[in-house]
Amino acid sequence: MIFREVEDPDLIAKARRGDVEAYNLLVSRWEKRVFNYLLRLVSNREDAMDVSQDVFLKAYQSLPKLDDPARFSGWLFRIAHNEAFSMLRRKRPETELAGEPRPADLNPRLLPMELSLAVETALGRLSPDQREAVLLKVYQGFKFEEMAEILECPVSTVKSRLYTALDLLKAMLAPMQKAALRGEL
Amino acid sequence: MSCSFFDSEPESKPDWKAYVLRELGQDAHRQAEAHLATCSICHEEVATLRLTLDTLSTLREEEMPRRIAFVSDKVFEPRWWQRVFSPTFAAGALVAAAILIHGTLRPSQIPQAQVEAAVNKAVSEVEARHVQEIQAMYELLNVRDKQVANMYRNVVLSR
Repeated sequence: MIFREVEDPDLIAKARRGDVEAYNLLVSRWEKRVFNYLLRLVSNREDAMDVSQDVFLKAYQSLPKLDDPARFSGWLFRIAHNEAFSMLRRKRPETELAGEPRPADLNPRLLPMELSLAVETALGRLSPDQREAVLLKVYQGFKFEEMAEILECPVSTVKSRLYTALDLLKAMLAPMQKAALRGEL
Repeated sequence: MSCSFFDSEPESKPDWKAYVLRELGQDAHRQAEAHLATCSICHEEVATLRLTLDTLSTLREEEMPRRIAFVSDKVFEPRWWQRVFSPTFAAGALVAAAILIHGTLRPSQIPQAQVEAAVNKAVSEVEARHVQEIQAMYELLNVRDKQVANMYRNVVLSR
């Protein structure tokens, strides 16, 4: 007998029929990815946790409205995006949300274990829109079209934000990359 | 730094970011690869982009401080207004309201004397019916006694 893992659309169909366990399984599959995405967006573990909880509650309540179960991930991240920015708007002034990235001043002589923190710092210096584009593409693996749906903007805007972010990150991380290539890290 | 091959037609230069992000179509991807094999300048550009992506991939994934509350947990229970608008609750509430209205609108108290009179009337009706039944039985027994007495006399006389 060939083992076949239960696919998300199967679980969604069951959850729609009131199977609570099916939805619980969906939550356990996606919670870590959603949490990490939100953590990079809101930069606070407790806020990310609270918003994650809201996201899965809202998704459960809106499950009957999901047109195409095959596109669950994009739909879920769209809810996460909306909840995160709604929370950020409540907590921060509008000007901070549209802030420009600050100049790079990362320490090029970092220990390898600190490289992850350096990346985190570099991501934190991007504007929220640019950072989110990187999160959705590099860490969540969405296609440009899917990102456009999640962010509710044209593909050209998605590409513009992402490409600018990559240029900035390249400039910010270049000193460390060179050090790493020289074996200093 | 520029690529001499694309200097004459800059608009035809491959989108290297889309290339490393695997967003080019099959044909465009093949053309880009073919060019990369021959152009050191573009090769370096792509290598830098890949290095940036590799560095980004060192960002460690954070563990969650706690699990998401499941649907079966209290946090997923419907709020009060969702309960109010649920069909089952609404039907129950409708029945309860009907009982309440009925109880409120009907006469609040019946006079005690009226109750006693009704009870006395019912009791006397039942008693009268019982008396009639006993009387009928008594008369029936008398008739049968007379019949038995006649039969006995006839038997004695016939001897």
